[in-house]
Amino acid sequence: MAEKRERYQNRIELLQGTLDLLILQTLQWGPQHGYGISVAIRSRSGELLRVDTGSLYPALHRLEKQKWIKAEWRISENKQRAKFYQLTAAGNKQLTKERSKWSQLSDAIAGVLNPEQR
Amino acid sequence: MSWLNRRFGKRKREEELGEEVRSHLQMASQDRVERGQAAVEAERAARNEFGNVELVKEVTRDVWGWGSLERLMQDLRFGLRMMAKSPGFTVVAVLTLALGIGANTAMFSVAYGILLRPLPYRDADRVAVVYMSYFPRDFKFGTMCIRDYLMWKENNHAFEEPSLFMSQRMDIGGEEGVPEQVQGASVTVGFFSTLGVHPLVGRPFAAGEDQPATGSLAVLSESIWRRRFASSSTVLGQTILVNSTPTTVIGVMPDAFRFPGQQTEVWTNLLLNPPTRYGPWFYRGVARLKPGVTLEQAQAETNNIGLRMMQQNPYYKRLTLPVLGLRDALLGTTLKPGMLVLAGAVGLVLLIAVVNVTNLMLARATLREREMALRISLGAGRSRLVRQLLTESLLMALLGGAAGLALAWGGIALVRAWNPGNLPFIDLVRLDLRALGFMFVVSMLTGVLSGLAPALESARADLNSTIKEGGRTGSASQTRGRARAALVVSEIAVSLMLLVGAGLLLRSFVNLQGVTGGFSTPPRQILTMLISPSNRKYGYAPAGLAFYDELLRRARAVPGVEAAAVTDSLPPDRQGDADSFGIEGQILAPGEGNPIISTVTVGPDFFQALGIPLVKGRYFTDHDNRDSAPVAIVSEGFVRRFFPNQEVVGKRIKHSGAGSDDPWMEIVGVVGNVKYLGLTVETDPAYYMPFAQSYGPRVYLAVRTSGDAALLVAALRRDIQSIDPDVTLAQIGTMEQALTMSVSQPRFDTMLLSLFAGIALLLAAIGIYGLIAYSVAQRTHEFGIRMALGAKRTNVLGMVLREGLKMTVLGVAIGLLAAAVLTRLMASLLFGVSATDPLTFAGVGAILAMVALTACLVPARRAMRADPMVALRYE
Repeated sequence: MAEKRERYQNRIELLQGTLDLLILQTLQWGPQHGYGISVAIRSRSGELLRVDTGSLYPALHRLEKQKWIKAEWRISENKQRAKFYQLTAAGNKQLTKERSKWSQLSDAIAGVLNPEQR
Repeated sequence: MSWLNRRFGKRKREEELGEEVRSHLQMASQDRVERGQAAVEAERAARNEFGNVELVKEVTRDVWGWGSLERLMQDLRFGLRMMAKSPGFTVVAVLTLALGIGANTAMFSVAYGILLRPLPYRDADRVAVVYMSYFPRDFKFGTMCIRDYLMWKENNHAFEEPSLFMSQRMDIGGEEGVPEQVQGASVTVGFFSTLGVHPLVGRPFAAGEDQPATGSLAVLSESIWRRRFASSSTVLGQTILVNSTPTTVIGVMPDAFRFPGQQTEVWTNLLLNPPTRYGPWFYRGVARLKPGVTLEQAQAETNNIGLRMMQQNPYYKRLTLPVLGLRDALLGTTLKPGMLVLAGAVGLVLLIAVVNVTNLMLARATLREREMALRISLGAGRSRLVRQLLTESLLMALLGGAAGLALAWGGIALVRAWNPGNLPFIDLVRLDLRALGFMFVVSMLTGVLSGLAPALESARADLNSTIKEGGRTGSASQTRGRARAALVVSEIAVSLMLLVGAGLLLRSFVNLQGVTGGFSTPPRQILTMLISPSNRKYGYAPAGLAFYDELLRRARAVPGVEAAAVTDSLPPDRQGDADSFGIEGQILAPGEGNPIISTVTVGPDFFQALGIPLVKGRYFTDHDNRDSAPVAIVSEGFVRRFFPNQEVVGKRIKHSGAGSDDPWMEIVGVVGNVKYLGLTVETDPAYYMPFAQSYGPRVYLAVRTSGDAALLVAALRRDIQSIDPDVTLAQIGTMEQALTMSVSQPRFDTMLLSLFAGIALLLAAIGIYGLIAYSVAQRTHEFGIRMALGAKRTNVLGMVLREGLKMTVLGVAIGLLAAAVLTRLMASLLFGVSATDPLTFAGVGAILAMVALTACLVPARRAMRADPMVALRYE
């Protein structure tokens, strides 16, 4: 119980808010299923970011509910029926918003960390 | 329709989620296979990487939002898991609630069956019984005579056709079987239609059948019909003997019809012979209110009629015609207050149970603070938490209710088996659907009541303090501690009220037991029975007296019999007749009537058999017979009322009044007072007449035995019936049984209230024990440090006891004040003790304080043994 709780808390700190951004960004390159998204995030982050399925799927379903992405059952390249998510117009707008928020945040943090560069 | 859509939508989404997860796993393992892993291994690795499939599904589902039903199921599942996790807590809470709910369900069933169940008569609430009450007779619900009835009927506008009835014992016999004595009633022809009942077979009495010169007719109960006539329809038109009179059976009433008595089995037509004088006062009226007329309006009208009766007959003083609704008439006046007090008491027991469970939950809430904080940090709304916690307490209450149902079933079986004898309709009391519904509603209320405060409290959990403090004692637990102490105080107060009530009833019951009927023979050595020889053979004195001489001779010959006598009245509550009488030489003031008092007809040995003391003069002897001068014996109460400070022996009295044709009777003796109207009735003056000079065929045989009287029943019965097989014997029992029966109602109330108070005391003790034990467990550390710093063990003991003492004193004080107000409500149930009896209040307060402190002592001793080293090591 205690161990599980700790893991949960770490993950919250690591990913809160950013997971949505990563998913939306991944989908901008084209429709993708859950597994594909997790593989993409992992490889593009140089294996640093591993997305927990317990966060990924709730996030996907939540984004779908918010109508930023929509889902469709399709056959994947290796003949596998899978649920593909794709960005909606609203999702595209949200992505722009999240990106600018993120760059503001990272600038701000960078400023705090390296004050002499200002 | 939309609900259906949602259901299907949900199922589809559920399937899709399953497939989505499956495809994820398949693609992941396929990737691994392509990278060269073995298929089996790849699959396992993919699954590992994915994590707990069910958990992922669950957190994903959470995103969808829940329908209330799914959420409820989820909460229930979780609640059950929580209960299983702490079985000790669950068992205590469920048992506590089971006690509370079970007692209430049982009490509800009994009270409903007796007080509320609709009577099996058409619009029973429109039917009223009309009594007569007047001085000097002074029975609150007394009887009237036919003249009174005719006057009432003549002036009546409030009721439809008033009917008259008289209860009496009836001997029935005939070709169909051996004679037996049953409860019967003589009724006027409107009786059955007033009550709105129809016979199973045959017909009720018809118009005119209460007029003089009508033949004797009888309507039988279904029970007699079954017992004596094998339910055969040939019974109609058959002639049977009722009190030795040939009587034609015209109908059979269903068993549900039980009026005027629970045991009434025969109804005969009452003949309204034109009365030549006032009396005898044997009758009560029953009538149906006209549409739109209230009971109060009817009462106002009969009050006016009462005034006219007094104008016509100056003999009546303070005359009223009390009107009672049918149910009140059936229940009597003593049953309801007792029932209401018991119902109130059992409600308080439930209240204590709820408080106890609330307390347990509050204690547990402290233990679950971290769980709650975590749930809030994960985004659970407060309303969500409250709902979850309420589901848990409701679940607990329902479990308690189910267990309580078993308790109630047992309780009802117990009450029915140990029917105190005069609870009407008790055989109709059962655990039915209504009781089930009651149990359910009470359980739900209980669940909400006991769970709401702890739930609200928990949902308020302060995230920061909880996490920072590592869950030891936060400000939340401090308020909670105060709340719990307040609950324990209220619990002590409420159980004190119950204990005071039980204490008062116990004291009055003891007082009641201390009341002697006025006789000194041990009750278990007195056997009594009602003898009814055939009216035809023994209806008049010479033959009847010879019969009873023979009967007494045989009774005295039975081994073990020391004395035998006949009487028409028996203590404690079998009154014979009451009559007016006049005193020789007495001049009545204008308008003053002759007094009416109890008259008792007894055989010579009666006073010796019962041990009634002779104060002056002599007892009756065999020489006081038909040929000798009429004599009488009077009671001390009679002397005090009519001949204060005078020599009474030698004075003469006579029936009715000085002007009547009856002979003068010379007073030859004075005996001690005997209670014939019930133990609680103040002494009632009486005069006695010798059996030989005042013969009646139906009398009690009273026998004094050397040992246990109950053992002689068979021998006596055999000897008596060998004189004449047509003689019926009824109401056979010892005086001990009669005394027990006469106090069965107070005993019932006392035992039940004591039981409830006992449960309350137990729960309160558990409550205070739980609180102190909990607080000691929380403070073990503190105690250890105190002792390490030099505090003595007794200091620690004192600290803990002081905490308990504070709550106890406060609770007892509040309880005593509240009890002083509440016990007034039960004043009518008390006998010889005031509703604010200081001794009871002080004694009960002391008992409760002792029990509460004992409950504190156990955990306090544990605190005393706290090991300083252990406590410090934890620091």
